[in-house]
Amino acid sequence: MTEVSVRIKDTIENEPVVLFMKGTPQFVMCGNSDRALRALREAGAPVTAVDVLPDPSIRQELTELSGWPTIPQLFVKGELVGGADITQELAETGELRKILEDKLGAGYADGAEERVVDVLSGTRA
Amino acid sequence: MAVDRLEFLLQDAFPDAAELRVEDRTGGGDHFQVTVASPRFDGLPLLEQHRLVNDALSEPLRDGTIHELRIKTKGTT
Repeated sequence: MTEVSVRIKDTIENEPVVLFMKGTPQFVMCGNSDRALRALREAGAPVTAVDVLPDPSIRQELTELSGWPTIPQLFVKGELVGGADITQELAETGELRKILEDKLGAGYADGAEERVVDVLSGTRA
Repeated sequence: MAVDRLEFLLQDAFPDAAELRVEDRTGGGDHFQVTVASPRFDGLPLLEQHRLVNDALSEPLRDGTIHELRIKTKGTT
């Protein structure tokens, strides 16, 4: 496994909510990533974002791991939830909150912060 | 036309679809909205439903024909 792929895997396994997206929460570069992020923010999720744009290998390795071809991709507790359409649909039906509660506990939104992980360097902000 | 190709691939994967639509969202031939209603989705989680659509479109997803894909799936029950 490449270093990038190991870091992607670590992030998915160790962060409660991970959104692989184009851009960062501060500077979203794609409409679909924006839709997913909005849905997660409305649900109060503690989002850890990974920008796939800095290097094509990030997206390649991610798709290899997840079997999901498009960006964004949402993982909760290490499990793929889906892309932008699924995230939005689950948010609209209220199911997203339920998934987050089931997997992270009822207080998941308490003190929820947004973080960014750089899987190229391994830094976390 | 990319729309025709996508429709063809989806019809092939979902021959029993009650509804099957491909829209070019921007007119640029690379941003698509796909809507499929099929009995194959009945009882499947949303993730698996979308996976079936992604699988049907794996080629145009890989070769860059599809730059952005929106999926709406429906069961028939």
